[in-house]
Amino acid sequence: MKRKIVYPVLFVIIVIASVLRLWKLGDVPISPNWDEVALGYNAYSIMQTGRDEYGEFLPIILRSFDDYKPALYAYFAIPFIKLFGLTVFAVRLPSAIFGILTVLATYFLVKEIFGINHKFKITNSKQIQNSPPKADQPLAKNDQNSKCALENGKWKMENTIPLLSTFLLAIFPWHVQFSRIAFESNVGLAFNIFAVLFFLWGLRRPWLLLLSALTMGINLYVYQSEKVFTPLLLLTLIIIFRKSLFLLPKKYIVMAGALGLIISLPIIHYTFTNREALSRAQDVSILANTTPLLEENVQRLVRDKEKQDYLGLILDNRRVTYLKNIASGYLSHFDLNWLFIKGDIARHHAPNMGILYLWELPFLMIGIYKLLFGSSVDGFTKKIKAFIFIWFLIAPIPASVTSDVPHAVRTLNFLPTFQIFISIGLITAIGLVSSIKYQVLSIRIKYISFVFFFFFFAFNFSYYVNQYFVQQNYFHAQYWQYGYKEIVEYLMPIHNKYNKIIVSNTQPLDQSYIFFLFYSKYDPVKYLATGGTRSGIQEEDGNKFLNFEFRKFNYYEEKGHNILLVGSGSDFKEIFKTIKRVDYPNGEVAIRVVEKD
Amino acid sequence: MNVTKPKIILVVIIIIAAFLRFYQLGNNPSSLTWDEAAWGYNAYSLGIDGKDEFGRFLPLDYLESFGDFKPPLYAYLDIIPIKIFGLNEFATRFPSAFFGVLTVLVTYFLVRRIFSFSRNSPPRSRFATSRGWPNGLPRGESVALLSAFLLVISPWHINLSRAAFEANVASFFIVAGVWLFLAAIQNKKWLLLLSVSSFVLSIYTFNTARIVSPILFILLSLIFWKALWRIKYQVVGATIVGIVLILPIARFLVSPQASLRFKEVNIFSDIEVIERTNQEIENDKNIMWSRILHNRRFAYAVEYIKHYLDNVSPSFLFLKGDGNPKFSTQDVGQMYLWELPFFIGGILLLFRRREGNWWIVPLWLLIGIVPAATARETPHALRIETTLPTFQIIVAYGIYQAVSSIKYYVLSKNKRYVILSSFILLLFVNFLYYIHGYYAHYPREYSGEWQYGYKESIEYVKMVQDKYDQIRITSAMGRPYVYYAFFTKTFPESFRKTAIVKRDAFGFVTVSGFLKYRFADNLNFIKEKTKKALYIDIPGRVHPKGDILKRFYLLNGAEVLVAYRL
Repeated sequence: MKRKIVYPVLFVIIVIASVLRLWKLGDVPISPNWDEVALGYNAYSIMQTGRDEYGEFLPIILRSFDDYKPALYAYFAIPFIKLFGLTVFAVRLPSAIFGILTVLATYFLVKEIFGINHKFKITNSKQIQNSPPKADQPLAKNDQNSKCALENGKWKMENTIPLLSTFLLAIFPWHVQFSRIAFESNVGLAFNIFAVLFFLWGLRRPWLLLLSALTMGINLYVYQSEKVFTPLLLLTLIIIFRKSLFLLPKKYIVMAGALGLIISLPIIHYTFTNREALSRAQDVSILANTTPLLEENVQRLVRDKEKQDYLGLILDNRRVTYLKNIASGYLSHFDLNWLFIKGDIARHHAPNMGILYLWELPFLMIGIYKLLFGSSVDGFTKKIKAFIFIWFLIAPIPASVTSDVPHAVRTLNFLPTFQIFISIGLITAIGLVSSIKYQVLSIRIKYISFVFFFFFFAFNFSYYVNQYFVQQNYFHAQYWQYGYKEIVEYLMPIHNKYNKIIVSNTQPLDQSYIFFLFYSKYDPVKYLATGGTRSGIQEEDGNKFLNFEFRKFNYYEEKGHNILLVGSGSDFKEIFKTIKRVDYPNGEVAIRVVEKD
Repeated sequence: MNVTKPKIILVVIIIIAAFLRFYQLGNNPSSLTWDEAAWGYNAYSLGIDGKDEFGRFLPLDYLESFGDFKPPLYAYLDIIPIKIFGLNEFATRFPSAFFGVLTVLVTYFLVRRIFSFSRNSPPRSRFATSRGWPNGLPRGESVALLSAFLLVISPWHINLSRAAFEANVASFFIVAGVWLFLAAIQNKKWLLLLSVSSFVLSIYTFNTARIVSPILFILLSLIFWKALWRIKYQVVGATIVGIVLILPIARFLVSPQASLRFKEVNIFSDIEVIERTNQEIENDKNIMWSRILHNRRFAYAVEYIKHYLDNVSPSFLFLKGDGNPKFSTQDVGQMYLWELPFFIGGILLLFRRREGNWWIVPLWLLIGIVPAATARETPHALRIETTLPTFQIIVAYGIYQAVSSIKYYVLSKNKRYVILSSFILLLFVNFLYYIHGYYAHYPREYSGEWQYGYKESIEYVKMVQDKYDQIRITSAMGRPYVYYAFFTKTFPESFRKTAIVKRDAFGFVTVSGFLKYRFADNLNFIKEKTKKALYIDIPGRVHPKGDILKRFYLLNGAEVLVAYRL
């Protein structure tokens, strides 16, 4: 592709990415979920008072619902909350902006990855040609064919892959999904991509290694998965590029290392010493809920002992069970159904869609094959192959020890490897189809295939856009904890008329207090003055402000008169005097306000 | 160095196969499912007077059985074992285990054929003849032996060979069909007739094969049409043989009964999809383009892909196996975890190297899943057994290439031995884990899935039945009549004469009694007057005034049936 048109095309891609990420940002998904709201209100609280909802001064970890969120996202949200007020849009905006930046950075990253071989290209291809054919492995000729096809079709991998990958990321359902909600994971992905980009640039301009170290260090403050993934990624980079790295002036490497260490020390220290944060890590890991997992195992061991089955005692070891579960968690991320058809929980994908487009499936396969076996003449050197495949394979590691697998948020770091595979696959397929000379009705097969493909692509893309922007709000409203906005707006002007307002905090109204704080924009100074948040554990009583109480209730057991009860359908089994109700778009009851005299 | 003799290795492999498939065949799996009992009793009946349990003489199109219209071949194959060993579990399962062993043997020949000739040129390809490890064995030979060995120890194949699953026999016929087809177009022309017969026999054996076999056969013929053109006479002969053989069943295949059960379980009758797409169109305010976008045909297509992909999910294949404990021990996947890297490597290298008729393997695998993906319950190890042994061939190819490259890259002999022996150790431990679980835990943990308790209760009934004028048995555990007919070895003619048979609108057959046995879901509803009746019921439904005579337990200690009188 000609250099002149690269930047205009890139610009168009960024515009597409921005439209998909910013349009109706506050309204689709229909409502923020509790994590988004918690980040928003904590940001608001830090902005006003310097303290989070628990009164912690400038925290690096937010206790929130006792899930100990890394705090950096909240700090990113502060300027936007200042600018736009405490709105859903403002809370989601940092994620969207980082999403757009990720798309941009992906262009430079992929370009850099496939640009590296420029330096090595000539020597490597000579080596290949000179190496004697392996006696054990007959050479395949087909590779030669496809290469010729590529050159005939004037497709230059190096120039096209970056743009194509960038475009694919711009419209990628998985990335759009998490760019449009305030999830830290998306920022974590952005930082990883920046870090790798700076690292690769740093091989030429060593001072950029400092930036790479900085972004990697900061990334540990962004999201839990990064605490595992970023070090692994760094290790991969160092091992693969060790030769080029050690040619650089030592002082930069030392400085970068020192900088990275200094930045990450506090969080490392915090992670390993803070008992509560550790408990969260254990909570979500599969090693936590050992009782049901090991029950069968224990029974087997007992039986083995009775029968004096020594072989059994070894084989039915509980470590085997752990190992099987970790392997199972890891492999679940390569389930094609998860990727292309189903997705995991409703919040992580558009209704009836996977997290990739279905049309990408064949190209993903072709791309993996091509990258693995592609020759260095095409630009696929060993280093590139190793780097992309290792990235691809280490991405699910943080998620595989957790219990909810597969998990699209914890494995967001898969990106942009998918885009690279798919764009290589696309280019290869185009090359192959172009080489077919066969004609039907005097039209070359290649044009028929292209038109067919284009319709399929357009269909799939418009289906996605429709599912995301139209159908999602209808089908998934309850998974996005819809309904609070209207209720809070209704209750705030009248709350003084009642003695007490009790809000349920049982499913699906878990953590309702944070929604009330958020939508009422309750002054954090006042909130902290009355004690702030007392406990992040659901079902536990205690969170209250003004005359609101957030706890489980039973209509008949509530003493006192002139009180309001706010709850979902499951909180009111009978028909009471309902003074306000909010429904999900599909007509089911979301939240009801009941008056008790 | 001596050249390793492939025949000796093959004999050893077959002996292991036979051991793994026949050892304790009668009591592990712990008891018979109703389908197995039905096979056994129908074969017993056919062996005595040539009629099936309900009196159809030499049925070639179907066995009515429970109204599921079983393809009949398994029952015919079971006649001789039952004549020899008597009507028992071992004899009932014998054909499946026997053909399981034969499948291993045929797999060896098949793989040799796959890698020995290329599509259009008869001379042997370099791969098949060039010598590699071990000890200069031809490479095609090594991969063939490896594939056979992997099938021998495959949890998938062992589990399905050890119960009377007709699918397992159908797999044999398909493997044999492909092998004979390749042999025919390569050098032994007349085998084409046998190949066609084998494919047709698979149609008489298993429902899924009715779709897989024709597709596979037609595709093979299309791809090899040039080779077939060279053996015209044999093609004509084969066509005649095929038509003659298919005639008896042809009318049934196009009848509504044949697709009766299919209609119940298929995904295209799922009303939810239509409701959903209608709602989606409504959400778009009924705009024209939305009707195209949310066309229910597309939605069903996606649904189909979903069920298709279910069958290749890594967790199903390599870790958890089929969720139905009848098809998997739940300990290991359909394959071993250690096979995974070789499976991936094998696929990639098959496409990369393109040796011999490599393309048959992935093509066959993809076709084998086509019919199973139309059903609601996926993944389903039994319905996609027609894909075997393609998985094993791919893994074998992957292992072969891996070992070759170790020889190529790692020059130090000691290092090589360390790598190889640690690999073999891993393989062995994984196998041990499976087989230990299969014998030590599987019967105990899942005896309920195998309808354990029927046999024990019937043994008791046989002992005491002379004291009662009627035995009333619950049908809560499913289809008790066939167990009573099987374990009491009721003479077929007296069964047919006394059986009270009902057929409902959906074609289901219920037998509510024969001889002095009466079967009902709720025993209180049996209104016949008797002086003395013996009741066999599930624990929760025992009459409060019942005088409990004996209790029957599953192998894990849970109570399953109770004998009592009033």
